[in-house]
Amino acid sequence: MSAFLSYLVHGISVGCGFALIASGIIIVYRVTRVVNLAQGMFSVVAGFAASSLLGLGLPHGLAELVAIATAAAVGLATGCVATAKPGTSPQASLIATLGVGVFAYAVEILTWGDQPRSFSGLSGAYEFLGTDVPKQYLLVTLVTLVVFGALEVFFERTYAGKVLSACASNPYAARLQGIRVVRMGLYGFALGGALGGVAGVLLTPVQPVSYDSDVSLFVNGFAAAILAGLKRPVLGLLGGVVLGIAESMVAGYAKASYQSSLALLLTLAILVTQAARREALHAVEE
Amino acid sequence: MTRFALRVWPAAALAALALAAAACLDESALSVYVLLALTASVTVGITLLMGHAGQVSLGHGAFYAAGAYAAGLLAKNGFPSWIALLAAPIAAAGIAAAVGIPLLSLRGHHLAFATLALHLIFLSLVSELSLTGGDVGLQAIPPLSFAGVTLTSVRSYAYLSASALVVLVLLAQNLLASRPGRGLRALSSSEVAAASSGIAVAQYKLAVFALSAGFAGLAGGIYAFYMGYLAPGSFPVMLSIEYIVMATVGGLGRVSGAVTGSALVFLLVHGLSRIATLSGMPGTAPIILSYAVYAVLLIIAVLFLPGGLVAIIPVHRANPRARSVRGVHPAQAASNDSANDTVTPNHGSYS
Repeated sequence: MSAFLSYLVHGISVGCGFALIASGIIIVYRVTRVVNLAQGMFSVVAGFAASSLLGLGLPHGLAELVAIATAAAVGLATGCVATAKPGTSPQASLIATLGVGVFAYAVEILTWGDQPRSFSGLSGAYEFLGTDVPKQYLLVTLVTLVVFGALEVFFERTYAGKVLSACASNPYAARLQGIRVVRMGLYGFALGGALGGVAGVLLTPVQPVSYDSDVSLFVNGFAAAILAGLKRPVLGLLGGVVLGIAESMVAGYAKASYQSSLALLLTLAILVTQAARREALHAVEE
Repeated sequence: MTRFALRVWPAAALAALALAAAACLDESALSVYVLLALTASVTVGITLLMGHAGQVSLGHGAFYAAGAYAAGLLAKNGFPSWIALLAAPIAAAGIAAAVGIPLLSLRGHHLAFATLALHLIFLSLVSELSLTGGDVGLQAIPPLSFAGVTLTSVRSYAYLSASALVVLVLLAQNLLASRPGRGLRALSSSEVAAASSGIAVAQYKLAVFALSAGFAGLAGGIYAFYMGYLAPGSFPVMLSIEYIVMATVGGLGRVSGAVTGSALVFLLVHGLSRIATLSGMPGTAPIILSYAVYAVLLIIAVLFLPGGLVAIIPVHRANPRARSVRGVHPAQAASNDSANDTVTPNHGSYS
């Protein structure tokens, strides 16, 4: 029972990280129709930056915030490369984000070396029903909930958020209203970068990151985004947590190396069934 | 007959160049040459798939690995090595056909993700199974031998890989010039239009996917015998990305572009990493340079060279086949003079 609880707690906190990455993927996709293959890289950059800044003596909190801002700037730069040139199709942009991700490898190794890095987060644990719940896990979950609350308010209550939603639901109509869709796409990338950054600074103390961690971060984030149907960022929270728990259980009860394959197979199954349903819909429409 | 000659000349020139290079180069250059020829073979398959069926595959490294493991396992378990080599493309194409049936209903970014997932699942399988030797991999794969001749020198593998490349180029070019090839070209501009002209879109896509995987499998099989050992670490996700960089830089959909692109990118990366190891640079310099080169080339090619390098090199040739395609692809109008083996890259038809 206590093993089950500890897997559950671990799954929820890691799943929160996936959810943050998923929401970044969803926001960028909704606004620009581009799946940002560099999304995992934002978390890696933020994790690395935070560990360097802490090493330079910046206090906790400030270091993380600066790291998240860095990730947002990197997100904006990624958006500029991938979508700013007029007439770039989403498929070309997808490949351009892949290029940005690979370029980031070069910069990351140059700046931080090719070894995994980590930094200490909150130490200690609370005892709950006979299980130790590390404080860092609670922090991850709490911050994620706050961020998702803020996202909900942003998209539903603020003008900027509604403009982004407008671009997502119908870019053509949005442009007719005088909204600069390409610029909004760049804001989407910056927001995606910041969300990836939050995931990075929260998860790095839990599991060290190396420059090529972005593949698994992206894959899990995308899996969560697919579970959420690539629709609303907030649904990504559900997708991420479900995925995190499932992976944690597989790692706990079966074998740790199966967990990412599980996420992948699950996502593939969902994608294929969705595609089949869409084909059926098309057949009815025609 | 003239048409046939047109199709054969570029391949004949390539064959002459490739075999001459294999005969002249010294040992250390030959080891680069073998890998280059194998990489170009995979890229020819990628360009068929990406340029003509309009599918992005981030998983062809897995088919390369599948071919390598199939050849290595068979050869180690007592099968004649030439049978093992023949089995490599068949195994890779078979896997591609099996996974392609569900996966190819996906499009655009979904397929890109699915093929990336395929690569990752393959890697985790290979490093888990005891059959494939786990993380350690397969050691001591016997060299390739056929009819009493055993290939041991680097030069013999250079001849072998160059011949494989030439055969695959010839196959790809003739495929594109044939009736199914015209079907493929129609498919790359509009799936709906192609389907309504009676082209079996799903079957064509699956066939190209399997064929391109077969190309990768053959190259992987040669790699297994050339290296003599295999490990999951030899087939990182970056490998799949490299093929895309090369095909995109050369010009998607063009067989000549695939060969030119892979030669240029491969030699550039190797040249730079040689410089990086020379002058007392830090140990990470070669890897940093190679990532940076791949990334910059990919971004430039995808944003600014939609037809690839081949499209900016003007080639004047009266080719009735190419002219008939022109009206269909307005995007290609600017670079039409270069259209010889050709079709438009499929950036536009994402859905």
